[in-house]
Amino acid sequence: MSSRFRLAIPLVLAAVASSAFAGGALPIGSAAPSTDVKMKNVDGTEMSIADAKGAKGTLVVFTCNHCPFAKMWESRIVEIGNAAAQMGIGVIAINANDPAANADDGYEAMQARAKDKGFQFPYVVDATSGVARSFGATRTPEVFVLDPSGKVVYHGAVDDNAQDPAKVDKSYLKDALDALAAGRDVAVKETKSIGCTIKFRS
Amino acid sequence: MSIAQAILLAATLQGPAAAPPPVPADAAAVLAEVRRPGAAAVLVNVWATWCAPCREEFPDLLHVARDFKDRGLRLVLVSVDFEEAAPDARAFLAQEGVDFPTFIRTGKDEAFVDGLEPEWSGAIPATFVYDASGKLVRFWETKASYPVIKKRVLEALHPKEDP
Repeated sequence: MSSRFRLAIPLVLAAVASSAFAGGALPIGSAAPSTDVKMKNVDGTEMSIADAKGAKGTLVVFTCNHCPFAKMWESRIVEIGNAAAQMGIGVIAINANDPAANADDGYEAMQARAKDKGFQFPYVVDATSGVARSFGATRTPEVFVLDPSGKVVYHGAVDDNAQDPAKVDKSYLKDALDALAAGRDVAVKETKSIGCTIKFRS
Repeated sequence: MSIAQAILLAATLQGPAAAPPPVPADAAAVLAEVRRPGAAAVLVNVWATWCAPCREEFPDLLHVARDFKDRGLRLVLVSVDFEEAAPDARAFLAQEGVDFPTFIRTGKDEAFVDGLEPEWSGAIPATFVYDASGKLVRFWETKASYPVIKKRVLEALHPKEDP
């Protein structure tokens, strides 16, 4: 084989690796991983995704304290999360950011945020960022909705307008949870939004 | 004083803003600029004033763009700030010494993200490297430093020579 051909191979591999990194989120219908990993909750207890599971399913929210986009959606996440618990859907908010990247993502700041905003669901520390990695989550906020068997039925954004709750056309997450609670198929299963990168621990 | 105000003040103290106002653009307009003939490679960076890692990598990005301009590298900067923050974006660009046209995203997030690159999750900073034909060679969703950006630009400029 010519040297020119051999030299091209690492480039091809690099291109594949970088694209897999970006598009590597759990596909719809796949079983959620890391559901037994215990994470420290703001109330001091250890919680896993399995512990948060509801009879009708589970909402997993990768979020954080510092990201301006996470903050823009925060009140809506709290509102939807608190309502989901009433619908028999378990909720867990997970902060996978390395607090070394931003002190606002430290444990005490998380406790304060959960209290101030009235989280009626756990807000836990993904202490190795491994849970976020295993989900293929890349940004905050990014949500995954799991059916009662733990399979992903929705992945993506909270809704289609970070900036202005009054101008939301499509309440993707709320619609997905309503469908799940009613035993219907989720109509829009994957969406995207601009967001902050997760500051993974190395 | 907010960060935006501080940036604006700093820019004002340095004299009139050099940066032209960012031009509203959807994904198709950004890709048209990528494919406009004349570039040996194109670097697209999606950033926002509210994104700390975006602001942090800006000098390195501009440094690479300056160093490879003579070799045909085109830098396309796209702010995803909201419309009312366009003046803040312009002030930041001026502070960083940007004196060429840049873009600010219009329309819904999802149409923009998928229109630019379906594999992109929407996380920023996001940086895309295209070759002379306008084909995407590489992209990444994280802050990068000068040597990393330079290496990836070289891959697009000289795909067969780079070991």
